[in-house]
Amino acid sequence: MAEQPETPTMETLDPQTPSPSSSSSSSSSSSTVSYSKPPNPSFQNQNPSPMPPSLTRLWRPAAQRNLRNQWSKLVSCRKQWVSSSSSGKSHATSLVNAHLSQRYLPSMELGVLSDMLNIRKKAGRKLFKQQETFQRKLLSSYKDMVAAVTQMVNASKSMRTFLKGPSNSALVQFSSFSGDQNDSGDGGGIPVFAFWSISSHEQLAEELVQMFIMELNLKRLLVLELLSTSCDNPQLNELHWSDQLYPGEFDHLSMCNLFSQETCEPVPPKLMDLKSDAPTVRSNNQPNPEVLQVYITTWLAEVNIDTLRVDEIFAVIGEEMHVSLT
Amino acid sequence: MEAMVKKYQQKFRKVRDEMSRWDELQSRLISQFNSASSIIQRLQVLQDSKNYGSLNCVAGIGDGLLRKQLESLEVIFLSLKRTMEEFHGIVFSIEKIHRDGRQQVKGGSNQPSVKQLQLRVGVKPTLADCLDGLMVLYDMHHSEYLLKASVVSALSTLTLKPSASDLCALQQLLIDQPNIPKDEVQSIFDIIFAEEIC
Repeated sequence: MAEQPETPTMETLDPQTPSPSSSSSSSSSSSTVSYSKPPNPSFQNQNPSPMPPSLTRLWRPAAQRNLRNQWSKLVSCRKQWVSSSSSGKSHATSLVNAHLSQRYLPSMELGVLSDMLNIRKKAGRKLFKQQETFQRKLLSSYKDMVAAVTQMVNASKSMRTFLKGPSNSALVQFSSFSGDQNDSGDGGGIPVFAFWSISSHEQLAEELVQMFIMELNLKRLLVLELLSTSCDNPQLNELHWSDQLYPGEFDHLSMCNLFSQETCEPVPPKLMDLKSDAPTVRSNNQPNPEVLQVYITTWLAEVNIDTLRVDEIFAVIGEEMHVSLT
Repeated sequence: MEAMVKKYQQKFRKVRDEMSRWDELQSRLISQFNSASSIIQRLQVLQDSKNYGSLNCVAGIGDGLLRKQLESLEVIFLSLKRTMEEFHGIVFSIEKIHRDGRQQVKGGSNQPSVKQLQLRVGVKPTLADCLDGLMVLYDMHHSEYLLKASVVSALSTLTLKPSASDLCALQQLLIDQPNIPKDEVQSIFDIIFAEEIC
């Protein structure tokens, strides 16, 4: 890259300033040339930087450090999601298998075993115990997925870096909380690394997190259905959409915007970009094998998560921040 | 003559290396085939909204799910294609080893007589054993490659009207590798490397 004349904000840049990225100064200096690149130009120049150049020079490294942290949190949450989702899938599969075996037990040809006393009853009890175990495990995978998504939401909401203390103080400190109404925490919309302002980062993070939020809600429906699937005592196991699956679940769901304060129950699941106005269908305690197969497939397919897009977002951001986010 | 046989044994070692690569590919092929066939078997179930149970309250779930599954299927087909290309590469190099082997006796200025071809020294294989062995091994792998290629292409036509029994038969065909009988392969190598067995 050829040497570009420095932008006014960079004029006071002290070469001795410790910066987490040595390349950031040279890349930001070319930002005026490519200013049109951020995906949301409306945010640009909306509020001209209220910060004096001397502050910007200090703000940028702090903001860079923060963005790097938040994005790598997003990456690790995604990994956590992937592993919880896949263990959830295997628990769900085992659950369905045990359930179907128990259901077919009465009609099963037992051959020589049929002479044994109470063999069906004992096998049935064993399969029932197995189902309880897998239901517990499935619920715990779901909990892990909720945790991953709430952490993602937090990370995506903590991308701004605010000034702490009076701006004329000799000691400048930064914080992730806003202490001043006039400080929007985005450094006046300037690019943090090469091209992208804080709000552009936030936008991409939100797009990413939204996919996982939607998928979490869909998975909740599946968990609910699989937990209510049972051979005996249909009444005992009956769960409703408005039931809390574990203590504190609704607090977590509210953090993900998945809990409606009006109806006092979780918002109904839907697909990305699609409205859902169908009422929640009453679940059937004994869904047929095809339905169970569709449930498992739905779990596996992660319809709401566009994996290519997720990878693309991490790649683009990684390039912008000069780190590898994979 | 003995030096010649040594050279051939070297070639058989190379074929053996190629064959162990073949085995690796074989297990990859089977797992790719299984993934594809389980998706294909699911497609019909996914097309019937009766099978969605409570998921019916999620608008568009059927289309979304089908789209996702078809995307995954496409990815698997691509990797199947790559696997087949690698199989072809193995067939190609076994063919080259075989051709070079023939060249060594037929192309040289002093062509060995029939008697020389069948001359046996101790437990060492005859030249004819070597030549035939290479040819048979090449033939086996070549035919098996053609069979696998046709099975894989049959799989993609089954996507449109899947049948569980057809899928099962195709899978068995891939696993069995009827063109490469294990005992016959073993007996060829036993003759070529007889001295190592004793």
